[in-house]
Amino acid sequence: MDRKHDREESPRPEAALRADCGSAPARRAAADSIPVLMGYLSMGFAAGVLLTAHGGVSHPWFWGALTSAVCISGALQFVFVGWFAAPTPLATVALLTLFLNIRYSMYGLSLIERFRRTSRLRRLYLIWALTDETYALETAHPAEDPREDLRYCFTLSALNHLYWIVGVTAGALAGAALPFSHRGIDFAMLALFLVILTDQCRERANRIPALIGGTAALIAFAVAGPRWMLIVAMALILGALLLLRRRLERRDEKEPGA
Amino acid sequence: MTEFRGVGYLLAVTAVAGGVTFLLRAFPFLFFGNGKPSPWVLYLGRRLSPAAIAMLTVYCLAAYARERIPAEHCWGAAEILASCAVVGMQVWKRNPLLSILAGTALYMVLVQSVIR
Repeated sequence: MDRKHDREESPRPEAALRADCGSAPARRAAADSIPVLMGYLSMGFAAGVLLTAHGGVSHPWFWGALTSAVCISGALQFVFVGWFAAPTPLATVALLTLFLNIRYSMYGLSLIERFRRTSRLRRLYLIWALTDETYALETAHPAEDPREDLRYCFTLSALNHLYWIVGVTAGALAGAALPFSHRGIDFAMLALFLVILTDQCRERANRIPALIGGTAALIAFAVAGPRWMLIVAMALILGALLLLRRRLERRDEKEPGA
Repeated sequence: MTEFRGVGYLLAVTAVAGGVTFLLRAFPFLFFGNGKPSPWVLYLGRRLSPAAIAMLTVYCLAAYARERIPAEHCWGAAEILASCAVVGMQVWKRNPLLSILAGTALYMVLVQSVIR
């Protein structure tokens, strides 16, 4: 080992150094991803069980694998339960996904520069696999050297993606084997929204936007009915948020801790 | 009880949800690749999410309201009880998975055996 190392090091020291460091970012990514492993396996398993749970409708396990591999979104995975249990128009699917995952549209802002130095295909994968947890780890651990940085991000994305697929697929296999009625399982979707809303309302600055959203939806439901309420509500929300921007931002400044 | 909608419907749902999610993730790379977004966009990015989630909560409740508000369903008692359980669990334990599973299990028991 030692002799081989010497031989490589003497003609091109930088190359050998780079080869040695090459696997270090990957190892760091693997170590950093362990908490995500636990979270994704348990969350994914639960979502997978709900997706295929036997009842009037049963779905084969591979739908768990497919949906998790394509979307890699925890919240969306619980919403899939409702869509798989009851027919939903595709326009509604698109709108719900848009509103549910709107936060993703801001994540990339802090990664544009870092992802610029890689190939198109790799950049597409990094963007595709950008979950909450992957984003959090990537922004928390930027590396000086761009090559190391990209290797870290890529390994982390692939590992987290894998954990999520394994979790959901294992759950889907278990759910397909459980012989209980799935009636009422669609409540998981509402439960998920309530959980997110509860957590968001811990932050004081989010309470008025949440109130605006709820009120707008009620008005839209009364005016436009269930079919068009999401579009009407979204227009009302955008209008209200833009009108109240100055007031809401002043509140943010007053309560920096909130 | 709903009917199985077939492979085409399930594939379409997966593709649409996956496509929209990818486009959202790609949004800043597509539009802000050459500079910083305006403060308006940043402000909306921060405050649109709670408003959208509150809207989706009402949207879900509205879907239940249509069929389950009538007196034979105890005026939506199952929905109200299970929703309170979810929020209560989340305030108390702060464990999203536990809150979702507990609330959904309670709701399934209620609609399958108590409030049909």
